[in-house]
Amino acid sequence: MEIFPAMLSVITDPTLLFAIVLAAAVGMIVGATPGLTASAAIAMLLPITFYMPPLFALAFLYVIGKSGRYGGSIAAILFNTPGTAASAATQIDGYPLARAGKAGKAMKVATISSIIGDLMGDILLVVGVGFIAAIALKLGPPETFAIYFAAFVVIGSVIGSSITKGLASAILGILIAMIGLDPISSEERYTFGSFDLSNGIGLVPLMIGVFVLGEVFAQMESRRKATGDVEENESEGDGNSLTWDEYKPCLPHALRGGFIGAGIGVLPGLGSAIAAFISYGEGKRRAKNPEKWGKGALEGVAAPESANNAVSGPSMAPLLTLGIPGSTIGAILLGVFLIHGIQVGPTLFLTDKELVYQLFACGMLGILAYGFIGYFGATQVAKLILKIPTNVLYPLIFLTAFVASYSARGSMFDVTVMTVAGFGGWLMRKYDFKIAACVISFVLAKGAEETFRQSLLMSDGGALIFVERPVALGFLLLGVVAIALRVRGIMKERKLQGGLGDA
Amino acid sequence: MKRRTLIGAVVATIALTVSATASLAADWPKRPINLVVPYKAGGGTDAYARAISAAAEGVLDVPVVVVNKPGSGGLNGANSVVGARPDGYTMMMTSGGSFLLSTMTRDTKIDALESFQFVAQVGQLRTSLMVPKDSPFQSVQDVIDAAKANPGSLRWAHSGRGGFHHVGGLGFLANNDIEAQDVPFKGGGPTRAALIGSQADFGFLGVQQLAGFEEQLRALAVNSQDRDTIMKDVPAFGELGIPFAAVSSPVIVFAPKDTPAEVVAAMEAALAEISAKPEFAELLASRGTGPVYQNGADAKAGLTAMKADAAPLVEGLSK
Repeated sequence: MEIFPAMLSVITDPTLLFAIVLAAAVGMIVGATPGLTASAAIAMLLPITFYMPPLFALAFLYVIGKSGRYGGSIAAILFNTPGTAASAATQIDGYPLARAGKAGKAMKVATISSIIGDLMGDILLVVGVGFIAAIALKLGPPETFAIYFAAFVVIGSVIGSSITKGLASAILGILIAMIGLDPISSEERYTFGSFDLSNGIGLVPLMIGVFVLGEVFAQMESRRKATGDVEENESEGDGNSLTWDEYKPCLPHALRGGFIGAGIGVLPGLGSAIAAFISYGEGKRRAKNPEKWGKGALEGVAAPESANNAVSGPSMAPLLTLGIPGSTIGAILLGVFLIHGIQVGPTLFLTDKELVYQLFACGMLGILAYGFIGYFGATQVAKLILKIPTNVLYPLIFLTAFVASYSARGSMFDVTVMTVAGFGGWLMRKYDFKIAACVISFVLAKGAEETFRQSLLMSDGGALIFVERPVALGFLLLGVVAIALRVRGIMKERKLQGGLGDA
Repeated sequence: MKRRTLIGAVVATIALTVSATASLAADWPKRPINLVVPYKAGGGTDAYARAISAAAEGVLDVPVVVVNKPGSGGLNGANSVVGARPDGYTMMMTSGGSFLLSTMTRDTKIDALESFQFVAQVGQLRTSLMVPKDSPFQSVQDVIDAAKANPGSLRWAHSGRGGFHHVGGLGFLANNDIEAQDVPFKGGGPTRAALIGSQADFGFLGVQQLAGFEEQLRALAVNSQDRDTIMKDVPAFGELGIPFAAVSSPVIVFAPKDTPAEVVAAMEAALAEISAKPEFAELLASRGTGPVYQNGADAKAGLTAMKADAAPLVEGLSK
């Protein structure tokens, strides 16, 4: 167990500890500020780290990445703005909780769940880094496609009551994902000769548009109807404290989310947004109170938050041993290793074992640091934010939506995308289409198409490749079983409703 | 605030020797130089840019700031630089081969040879034929024989259609009159992982990608006349007598078309000095790459020759 001496050497280095705490705070702030992302912050801070010792530099950026992922949940809960792509699932229940004056409670649940998920991921990383890398290698395009298929089915539970509208929303998401270069032939699709469109539609502007701007539009409309009746964010006395009885039902969701996230993290490229949505969908499916999910269930915050943080640890395994970055942050970290003259690859654990385990130890301490700051600090922030009246808060959110969509890639075109998506999101809300289903399909469609077509190239166009490879077959069967169970569930529900009349 | 150092004066002196009308060049640079990299941070070209930025200290008396503008296969960043103010404070460093090929296969107004001024080349990325360690193929000839015995039965991996690895691979297949099905992956890392996991029979990927993975992969040949300067153990197609297409990717610094000649010459001189510094080579060595300096005119001649070699190969690719 190399982690224990590594932990000891990190704890006894006060400057390193200070760097970890600083990084946790920086990450939280950038994650929580709509318009700043952890990956942008890391890219900006990268040049500074050239002058630091390797461990110092890596730990600093790694912890910013971790706490930034957590910080995204704060923006999701308070402003309904996903600070990171990964926190889009958190806002589904987080924002309704904030509107009900329970922002502090939601943020505490998010904090605890993030810590649980992140630690689970890191423990898996420390225990099984070699094993994880071996799994990642075994998964070729057919296996990855089968996993995408199973993911599609599992998160189908967010589609909601109207299957037609849910499916239509999902198809819309898939169509939007098609815009840009074909993943295999690199030909342009649905670009109408526009150079900007050939780059595809970015996830961040799309999400900010449909979730944030769409919500602002919807609120504007509902307020005009209710003339003069200003909706206030009322604050309950106990809105900010969290008791064990309240967290107890969240715990199984957080644990399951941790496993889902850690599993997804092993697979390079799927990423934390997918983990969060799968965990949310799976949690809702198994919940005792699914009708409350989406309207402000604490469990609905716990499930995705623990999953998106659990991705962080295991995704380091393919990064360090195979040089495959699972995220933007991963890609930048890879650069840091190389800039400091550390050769990433299977030999890393022979040549720089001590450094790697010290980095893992720093990561774990970073989790505790952001957890501590978050648990006690976030409530204060929440109190402050909730004092702002809605007629000030909404224009602020409106403004940050524009800043956020511009700053992610420094592109005016993204602002256009965000605005168009905003109107789209408003119309979808108005006519009861499922925005979450649209965004998830958008996220999944690209990878699913790419791996499907890669598999077909490998097999000369034969579909048998998915059946001949046992792992692929396993995940496909999982998906089919999930569909069957869902169909049975719906049939039962229909029967029950039929019996009760139109209740 | 202007900081005139002794080293700054040295740069000015070099500029003087290169250019007759050095008054403008002596005045440049006054503020930080933005070096646009049209790829994500952490990639191969980005590493060159960051190494330049780090080694520029002491050569240029202003910082070189690396600005990543990824998207559209490198054209996004190129588009932003082609229209930038030609004052010498915005330049682009890109993977010349990929840039050339994307302007040939994509619908764009940019011409890799005409739309910019060539400042200098500072590095070279080469593609190579690799197989998994447990592959039955021990030599390039084994691959050719297997492909000839069963046309179309082999699968080969590369990092995306239209890139220089793909075109290099196409050139190898076409010149040796063999057929194989390509399987594109997204980027160098995933391609390498797919090859290690034996998802394809062989692959074309950057020869520097072998660094650290010698136990997982076997590089059969590098796609050039002579061996790579860093990965010296890998034989070259040229020495093996196997025909290939001379497609590689020189890492080139470009300046907007109307940048004053004095400024371009001063930057060229500065890049020559930076790429000769040992720190620059050290920063690159861990990635399996190294400095390969050529002046602007030679870099342009090299890319022009490559265009002629690649033209028949990319004809079938989309426009």
